[in-house]
Amino acid sequence: MRHQARTLVTALAGAAVLASGAAAARELMVVGFGGPFQDNARIALFQGYAKATGQPVKDDVYNGEMAKVYSMVKSGDVTTDVIMVEAPELIRGCEDGIFEKMDWSVVKKDKFIPGGTTTCGAGAVLWGVTLFYDPAKVQNGPDTYAKLWDVKTYPGKRLLRQSPKTTLEIALLADGVPPADVYKVLATPAGQKRAFDKLDQIKPQLMWWKSGTQPVQLIASGDATYAVGFTGRIVRANDGGAKYPLLWKTLLYSVDYWAVVKGSPNAKEGMKMIEWITDTKPLLALADIYAVSPANKEAAANPALSVKNPGMLSSHVDGGLFIDTEFWVANGEDLEQKFNAWLAK
Amino acid sequence: MATRTNLLAAGLIAPLLILVVASFVVPLLVTLYTAVGNPEVRDTLPRTAAAVRAWNGEGLPPEAAFAAIAEELAQAQEGQSIGQLSRRLNFEQPGMRALLLKTARAKADLAPPFKDALVALDARWGEADLWRLVKRNTARATPLFFLRSLDFSLAPDGSIVRAGKDDAVFRALFARTFVISFWVTVLCAVIGYPVAYTLSTLPQRWANAALALVLVPFWTSILVRTAAWFILLQREGPVNALLQSMHVVDAPLTMIFTRFAVYVAMVHVLLPFAILPLYSVMKGIDPVYMRAAASLGAPAWKRFLRVYLPMTMPGVAAGALMVFMLSVGFYITPALVGGPDDQMVSYFIAFFTNQTINWGMAAALACLLLAMTGILVVVARLVVPGFRIGTVGL
Repeated sequence: MRHQARTLVTALAGAAVLASGAAAARELMVVGFGGPFQDNARIALFQGYAKATGQPVKDDVYNGEMAKVYSMVKSGDVTTDVIMVEAPELIRGCEDGIFEKMDWSVVKKDKFIPGGTTTCGAGAVLWGVTLFYDPAKVQNGPDTYAKLWDVKTYPGKRLLRQSPKTTLEIALLADGVPPADVYKVLATPAGQKRAFDKLDQIKPQLMWWKSGTQPVQLIASGDATYAVGFTGRIVRANDGGAKYPLLWKTLLYSVDYWAVVKGSPNAKEGMKMIEWITDTKPLLALADIYAVSPANKEAAANPALSVKNPGMLSSHVDGGLFIDTEFWVANGEDLEQKFNAWLAK
Repeated sequence: MATRTNLLAAGLIAPLLILVVASFVVPLLVTLYTAVGNPEVRDTLPRTAAAVRAWNGEGLPPEAAFAAIAEELAQAQEGQSIGQLSRRLNFEQPGMRALLLKTARAKADLAPPFKDALVALDARWGEADLWRLVKRNTARATPLFFLRSLDFSLAPDGSIVRAGKDDAVFRALFARTFVISFWVTVLCAVIGYPVAYTLSTLPQRWANAALALVLVPFWTSILVRTAAWFILLQREGPVNALLQSMHVVDAPLTMIFTRFAVYVAMVHVLLPFAILPLYSVMKGIDPVYMRAAASLGAPAWKRFLRVYLPMTMPGVAAGALMVFMLSVGFYITPALVGGPDDQMVSYFIAFFTNQTINWGMAAALACLLLAMTGILVVVARLVVPGFRIGTVGL
């Protein structure tokens, strides 16, 4: 009996050693927002890296919920190594010690576009929202936010994101604030009131979306006539036969970043992978199969890329508004509450 | 002998007890603790905390506090722990985040005396209210999250004030949550009652088939059923097409993102929870009672009101309680088919948990929701006759 027990203990200890050995050499776990971007990034970037280095890579999908990442870091059981995050979550997570600081001796800092690097993140892709509408219903629809407020000329429902972020900027742009001054104005109580007053003017005509798939969906279903939605989704809908105009003058854009989760046993490998997947060659390989707007200067400037992807953001950012991440990290919670109070009024 | 029996009983009950403690009591206590916990200043600025605690709150704190905060903010920035602190203080006093980050970044250029250096960097460091904010938050517990969840707030001097009209969200939110839940409960009871009655009177063969019609949706994921309603109710969806082809309406109705859609989808999702307890109670009622009432000369309506309804009340109560409790915590359905003013408390709990990582607010809202629901159920037990949960094994 005792002998058996000892055998069991030895076996368990052996298994534990094996398990910990396996953990050290486990595959790199990359987590992103999913969708067609990730399906193609899996081929060109993740598996490309695996092939080039022999380091096995797996990927998974999340919805941007940070609670899971926070509890993972708190409990010390970090199963995600490289993660794609939006800018505000990146800044917050960096200050909270949720992400490792970028090792700029591994990742080359100078290959990124301006704003493409932060303490804890390396730029992956640009994303943006623009105004669009259903040309079957409206010919020569509004092509500026000021015109979107003209409900007499352009009747019908307007679909905006159910969030103060982008919505308040759009209200100020519609009210004639020049793009360069939007965040200066929005930082003052008077400017915030101005934005909400502007929204009040068309509140009965407003509808709100929560997930990125909805703008195209709700325009197609006829529930809304005009919408502000992600450009990638509009381009894809047009590839699928829709004829939505791309109104680049109304662009608001930002960057999604790669980051390494704090305490990842593969932090070093993660940095190496980020260096590889933000390089020009793999990004051009990705661009071969999927229209992207990379945050890598050289790749973005490649003329073949903008031909292949007419919706590439970096060719259209002139006149667009770069969403001020620091502003939203500092004021997001306060404005979120005011926005919710305003919605319920 | 008696002790042995007691031990045996305790042993038999232990798994249940452990389950209840581990899955209910412990999470509840953790949530309550999170709702009042206030660790940020103490953990991130321990020496500053000690220095301001020694200060009496009049004028400005001593130089030691200024020196400590300058030092500790820079350390926190370097050590990636300034986030929780700056977010916590910014939540109480907008603008604090920018001030703390600015100070942390400027540390290298600051020289003693730090009082003058910090005030020169930003005049807010010379305001007593700001230091009172820091001092206030060296306490282990804070009422702030509960106050905010009830649309109160702390003024700079620490007194409790009502939130302004532009910031008041949560009282209306709680009221809306309970109003929606109430009507969903009423609708489920009113619709479920005749359905359960019909089921209970069908011959067994048909009853099983009909029961499957109730159970199959019951086993289907909430998300799937809600998404189905989304498709049915949209502007160019089947419901509008039907109404138009029947010339009930001329132009398609806007049904999606309305309170109407929330009621339809929630009632559909929760209806089985009302039907099943009613069905089990009705199945157990011997038809002989109704025949007895009839033979004593009671007309149909009186037989129903005086005999049948009172006997089915435990089923109504159990179903209603279940539907109400589940509705109060609903999240997915209003989020998908409701508009911005149809969202319930859970929506904001999820928002604070995932979006702003403000777990104090999430926990405070959760505790209040639980407490209010508990009070309502207790009141219902006192007020509604026949509301004895135990009778149907709940």
